[in-house]
Amino acid sequence: MSSVVPMLTGGLQGYILVALLLFVIGLFTVLNRRSILVQFMGVELMLNAANVALLAFARFRGGDVQGTVFYLFIIAVAACEAAIGLALVVGLFRHRQTTDTDRADALKL
Amino acid sequence: MFLIFALLTLLGALALSFQRNLVVAGLCLVITFLGVAGLFLLLANPVAAALQIIVYSGAIVVLLLFVVMLLNAHEEEPRQQPRRLQRAGAIAVALVLGAGMVRLVLRSPLLARLNAQPIPEAMNLDRLGVALFRDHLAAFEVVGLLLLAAMIGAVALVKRDL
Repeated sequence: MSSVVPMLTGGLQGYILVALLLFVIGLFTVLNRRSILVQFMGVELMLNAANVALLAFARFRGGDVQGTVFYLFIIAVAACEAAIGLALVVGLFRHRQTTDTDRADALKL
Repeated sequence: MFLIFALLTLLGALALSFQRNLVVAGLCLVITFLGVAGLFLLLANPVAAALQIIVYSGAIVVLLLFVVMLLNAHEEEPRQQPRRLQRAGAIAVALVLGAGMVRLVLRSPLLARLNAQPIPEAMNLDRLGVALFRDHLAAFEVVGLLLLAAMIGAVALVKRDL
């Protein structure tokens, strides 16, 4: 295949592939693990995968500055999400003495 | 160089996914974020790499590890039900999605066309600052407000008797 060489030497395909695999690993972590903290780490992995794809496209479209501006906003929102998410985890632990998502099933039928 | 950082990123993420100890998993997350920062450097974007290291592998991981240690949740609690179906489903979703997207990337003619771009001038704070404060000033202020709201919200959620 002709696209294998740019994939290994840092062409656009390589970056997009890394981003995709990072996203899939993050998704697998969220689905597979039970601890809400590890699931949170999986969410962060997925967010980072999106960032890699965004900045890869920005670079291969001629070093677009808008991509970096957007990345700045993304990490500001990610920092908010981390603070609120971890506050919610602490709240959950206060009410239930657990970080296991299987045990926080009060809304389950 | 690209291969080193890509492997660092993906192996860190894989180690996180299969690590039992939550503190070690957090450190694997740091490795992943540093690998991503290296990828940003290779993308001619040192500003994003610095931000990645400061915000992600600095602030967010430290916050996460603080919470892990505060809650004394170093290990995952023993499972109540086996949930084999869910586990098999997770593996199947990851494999199908991963394989499908890899196929899509390898065949895409658009990606191959964009690949021919020469390396652009490296991003610097000068260009970023001009774009940020001239074209996106309102959004910048809104983000400041959002950070304030998140800070107050986090304190309100955690504080016992407000």
